[in-house]
Amino acid sequence: MTEAAGPAPLAEAQRPAGGHDSSPVPRRAVRRLIGWTLAALTAIAVMINQRDVGIARDEVVYVQSGARYARWWIGLVTFEHGITEASITQTFGGPNATDNNREHPPLLKTLFGLSSYLLHTKLGVTDEVTASRLPSALLHGAAVLLVYCMVVELWGLAQAILAGLLLALLPRAMFHAGLACFDAPTMTLWLATVYAYWQAARARDGRRWPWRVGVAWGLALATKHTALLLPFALGAHHLITAWRAWRTTMDPARPTGVLAALRAMIGYRWRLIVSLVVLGPLTLYVVWPWLWFDPVRHVRDWLVFHASHVHYNYEYLGHNWNAPRFPWHVALVTTLFTVPAATLVAAIAGAGAWLAAWRRGVRATGAPVLLLALSAAASIGPFFFGTTPIFGAEKHWMPVLPTICIAAATGAVWAAHAAAGYASALIASRRARPAPALTPAPRLSAAAALVGGCVVLASVAELAAAEPYALTWYSALAGGAPGGADLGMNRQFWGIAARGVLPQLSAAAPAGKTYVYTHDASPAWGLYQRLGRVPAALIDAGWEQGGIERSQLAFVIHERHFNRHDYLIWKSYGTVQPIYVLRTAGVPIVSVYRRPR
Amino acid sequence: MNTGTVRDSVLGLSARPSPIAVVPALLLVALSLWEVCAAHRDAASVPGDAAWHAAAERVRAGFRTGDLIVFAPDWIDPVGRMHLGDLIPLEVAARMDAARFGRIWELAIRGARSPDTAGLEPVATEDRDGVVVRRYERAPAIVVADVVDRLATATTSGARPTLELAEVGFAPHRCLQASPAPGTPLRIAFPQLVLGRTLVGYVGIADVFTRREVRSPVRLDVELGGKIISSTQAGVDDGWVQFAATTAPGSADVVFILRAADANRRICFAAEARQ
Repeated sequence: MTEAAGPAPLAEAQRPAGGHDSSPVPRRAVRRLIGWTLAALTAIAVMINQRDVGIARDEVVYVQSGARYARWWIGLVTFEHGITEASITQTFGGPNATDNNREHPPLLKTLFGLSSYLLHTKLGVTDEVTASRLPSALLHGAAVLLVYCMVVELWGLAQAILAGLLLALLPRAMFHAGLACFDAPTMTLWLATVYAYWQAARARDGRRWPWRVGVAWGLALATKHTALLLPFALGAHHLITAWRAWRTTMDPARPTGVLAALRAMIGYRWRLIVSLVVLGPLTLYVVWPWLWFDPVRHVRDWLVFHASHVHYNYEYLGHNWNAPRFPWHVALVTTLFTVPAATLVAAIAGAGAWLAAWRRGVRATGAPVLLLALSAAASIGPFFFGTTPIFGAEKHWMPVLPTICIAAATGAVWAAHAAAGYASALIASRRARPAPALTPAPRLSAAAALVGGCVVLASVAELAAAEPYALTWYSALAGGAPGGADLGMNRQFWGIAARGVLPQLSAAAPAGKTYVYTHDASPAWGLYQRLGRVPAALIDAGWEQGGIERSQLAFVIHERHFNRHDYLIWKSYGTVQPIYVLRTAGVPIVSVYRRPR
Repeated sequence: MNTGTVRDSVLGLSARPSPIAVVPALLLVALSLWEVCAAHRDAASVPGDAAWHAAAERVRAGFRTGDLIVFAPDWIDPVGRMHLGDLIPLEVAARMDAARFGRIWELAIRGARSPDTAGLEPVATEDRDGVVVRRYERAPAIVVADVVDRLATATTSGARPTLELAEVGFAPHRCLQASPAPGTPLRIAFPQLVLGRTLVGYVGIADVFTRREVRSPVRLDVELGGKIISSTQAGVDDGWVQFAATTAPGSADVVFILRAADANRRICFAAEARQ
């Protein structure tokens, strides 16, 4: 990371299309400080925000698995135990597809566990959920830093700050980054791979960066299987740039034909290919002990699990989807409604500016714009096929977000500079002077601050409206959370909103032991009790009809396919009347029922 | 490749000053400011409990036993039930449809209408701080027989249906539920059922999870005096599907024939003989 911020901003001739840096170039240390400050503020903001975010159903599994993984590694390095198939299977695997959460690679879970061990168990500075969520928050800060570093080198300081801020302020991204889950970290490690690849693709020194590409991709793979899509972007980029290089360095004596072209493509930055092919899988292997024995079968099991994953229920445009074919536009519309409108429009401006400059023949070393576009396409593209599972929606294509934010930053600054240029010409003409060849830097900076500041302000407003129930939030383009509900967009998932009714449950409970039908928050109930958010006397009544019949209190976390839980409760309690309905922006997210006496 | 004179489009625009150059920036600023206001406005656009309380008071003042209370849009239903749920019996909440209700109270926000009041004109409308209370009055359907209430009199060719409050099409419905063996029709007969001029009913597949796991549709035929008078197919995404047939007033044996291609299809149906 240190070196990432190291090189000076590209010379004008090396810069890609779509913007130019107007700001005076600060010293390298200052640039680096700005990037790290943005990263730190992002991580802090995520950690502050997550305090009000409930515990996700899957998060419980990851935290518990992570604690086991961490214990195993600590035991290994402290020589408490060695490497045996039995201990690895007991910790990381098992005969069934979901034993010890073996269907997901272990990197982030291990970090959750180590963080919890250090900050909660050993130091006691925070609770286990907060400690487990810290690695994800730190990685989100790292994503902002990576974006900043890439943009500051490519376009300049104003664009870099703006891109970092826009990424940090995305409501859904901040929400996911505050969970001990994989989606935000995957975005970071995907981006780290792209960043390393770009550095390798433009570097004069061919040895410095390629190995990092493979390692970063391996870490991304060790976080989530969606990283398997990344080589499609990198491969396409490699082919295009290699072909372009081969074509432009035509030597009359050069061999021609398909084989020669193929040889040239493979030989072009061959270390990158070797790194991805060798170091990527090797890194995955090293950090995942479950692969140390019978790796082929375990990798196959992992991939088969996701290739044949059940389609969870997901509401989209008023319809409950749980089987393909899904509408081709799910990813498009969901992204439109979950990225602030100002950011989206700025991104369109940025993409337009990039395209316009490309048409004028502007080419940057390493083709970074092409790389960013391919990265986004690889991430979101499969969701246009109509067969890729759509549950979870935007969290599964989060790697598209850095590209959108970078485009937005360059677009906003481009628009600002265009306006400043016109203003300068206008002022000059009023003063009867010739228009300046270049707009004065302070005027460009002021314009960028004004336009960029407005776009950032829009993100801040959306963020404030979204949290802590950001899964229910939709942007102003959709009409906010109520507009999303009107449109029949998915209300939420993972049972996170249960956190908001815990005080009401405690208040409504009769004295003594009380059984509570905890619905989708059942897996998190024990954690809520350990955190002191639920009295020990409120006992999880169990699942489905049996749990409802046993309960005196019940709640339903509203999703369209969960309506059936309301009806089960009505039948058992003999009433359709909840005693409390938790809402965000007026949209119901949890109903609490009390059995009539 | 133009690497020697790389100038972005910004410089291109500034070299040829035109008011158009200002448009993107103005657009972005205006859109951003709109979004700031809209985000705040959207978050406060749904009436709160005070408005709902006032609207509920209005309904309570004019409510009569047998009235139907509905809420619109459907996503606000939990809030409506929190305020007025004590006036909504289970069998009304899980009704077959709204035809038998002569008076309907509709509490609506954001300009929404309930499907249960489609085509009706309100006789009274009041706006209580954003919650609009509308009262509709009409001649209700006169039900002469409800098969759901006559389950005890039914005979079957196989497994006996059960009376359920089931989720069909993500809505609650009080219905008779049965799972015919694959490929074997299940005949559920109601001997000497009192009939009016029409027999109206609905059928669907209960339980979203069974609908997800098995995707085949189900079929319900209605047989009257040995003749099929209605045949309805309900798919996994069709919800609560209506069927209707003209009948001659009097009494007759009515048979509901359920068919499924796969096991464990929870076919749910209800029907009313109406004047």
